[in-house]
Amino acid sequence: MSLLRTLSLLLIILAAPAGLMVWAFPQGLSLARTLGIAVGWMGCGLLLASLLLMLRETWLARWLGGLERMYRWHHRAGVAAYVLLLFHPLFLAADALPNAPLSAWQVLSPFSQGLPVWLGWLSMLLLMAGLATTFQARIPYRLWRWLHVGLGLAVLLGLVHLVLLGIEEPVLPILGLALMLLGWRVVRGDLGLAARPYVVQSAEQVAQDMVEISLTPLAGAVALRPGQFVLVAFFAGPTFRGCGEFHPFTVSWVGASHQFRIGVKALGDCTRHLQSIEAGVKARVHGGFGDFLADRPTGPQLWIAGGIGITPFLGVLREEAIQHPVTLFYFYRAESDAAFLQELRNLADGHGQLSLRALVTGNAAPDLASLLPDAQGLAGQECYLCGPPPMIATLKKLFHERGLAPRHVHFEDFGFR
Amino acid sequence: MRRLYLLATALFWLLVAGFWLASLWLPTAGVPVAAVAEQRISQTELAQHAESGDCWMAIRGSVYDVSAYLPDHPSRPEMVLPWCGKEATEVYNTKTKGRPHSHNADELLVKYRIGTLIPAKQ
Repeated sequence: MSLLRTLSLLLIILAAPAGLMVWAFPQGLSLARTLGIAVGWMGCGLLLASLLLMLRETWLARWLGGLERMYRWHHRAGVAAYVLLLFHPLFLAADALPNAPLSAWQVLSPFSQGLPVWLGWLSMLLLMAGLATTFQARIPYRLWRWLHVGLGLAVLLGLVHLVLLGIEEPVLPILGLALMLLGWRVVRGDLGLAARPYVVQSAEQVAQDMVEISLTPLAGAVALRPGQFVLVAFFAGPTFRGCGEFHPFTVSWVGASHQFRIGVKALGDCTRHLQSIEAGVKARVHGGFGDFLADRPTGPQLWIAGGIGITPFLGVLREEAIQHPVTLFYFYRAESDAAFLQELRNLADGHGQLSLRALVTGNAAPDLASLLPDAQGLAGQECYLCGPPPMIATLKKLFHERGLAPRHVHFEDFGFR
Repeated sequence: MRRLYLLATALFWLLVAGFWLASLWLPTAGVPVAAVAEQRISQTELAQHAESGDCWMAIRGSVYDVSAYLPDHPSRPEMVLPWCGKEATEVYNTKTKGRPHSHNADELLVKYRIGTLIPAKQ
């Protein structure tokens, strides 16, 4: 990732709260009141940055280092804003505490205040509840999504709280910006205005609970490379009814006429339903995102895939004849889960540069330490990882222990929601 | 991040509970009143106190010296300062979309009362 792209995201995260705090920093107030106002504005700035980072635009993702990185920082900025905003009312109340504990409590308690403070509390409680759900990976996606909407509402209510306190400048422009960012995400992302219409051409079961779906553009096609991922929402077909939600899928092949294929593993309600998809189903496609296997340096490479994590590697192998030695480790739970295995064996037989090591793991985690090359064998290798988050975490730790610098370890994590 | 969220949320509720308990158990120190003596204040004299460091306001027939409170007012100074030295009852009663200030604000205001406004001659 270029330095410019690395810095652009961090600059946004830092500039939004710092800019607002400098603009609105109070003069001549007590320390507690100054801190209360300062953390409020910093939290507000971080929430704005967090809203920007939830946008799904290919050009923005390119500038900010990828959609997955944007979502990771969207979450971090949101949590940081929440923590700062928690201290906003506490500092304001602490100002009165030394002499008048009753007044301090009256500053906090909505029962002794008017509508603006009630809205502040409502905003805080929505943030609290919405963020709590982001840490619960087991909540069904559809429910999680609606609870996440509450976070957007919390931002708006927090800003209205300020307007009602008479702080219209600069809150009204900020409120307008927040509404614009939320509307942008809903219209372009969730309602699919940024997506292109496609139709399902065919679907083939490639393993247990995994299907490879082929899509053909109905109008202008999205720009794609194999190994990237796209956000796809499936709608109605002759007898099939899709769930209409955008989910990320990795591109496993791109054709000359812009048709492409994706691998879909049954990981949730929607993707399980997609296992029975049929030709003729309408879809909308947004992307492509990611640069996981793009711009690979010359020299030997180690590719490690777990389960459906094989898809981006397969996409690249189908697209190009690799020019440098590649060792591909493919871990899968059982033979019935080994999607594309025969095709990979055929590719390895045809490519002198590709060495395939396919391994059944069973239900236990594989002993990666003994299976993978030692420190000497890893020296000079460029490593690419795609698989379940626990596998990625184990591999990162292992490579670190074996002296491989982080810049030589690249990984793809589709765990974002 | 999860640990930070849990820690900050728990600390927040503990401190909120602490503020509530302090309001029940700790005594409130005497709050200085801007002026002790009751006086009748004319419109002319009121108008002479129209600066941020010397700000009187007439609200509901009483005059208040709110100079010491102005830095603590929640809204920005530009919202409040134009009403220094003036009859501010209307704006006090309609601060947000026509709604009056809270009961808490009424209680706070009493502490800054310095006298009664002499009504303007009709």
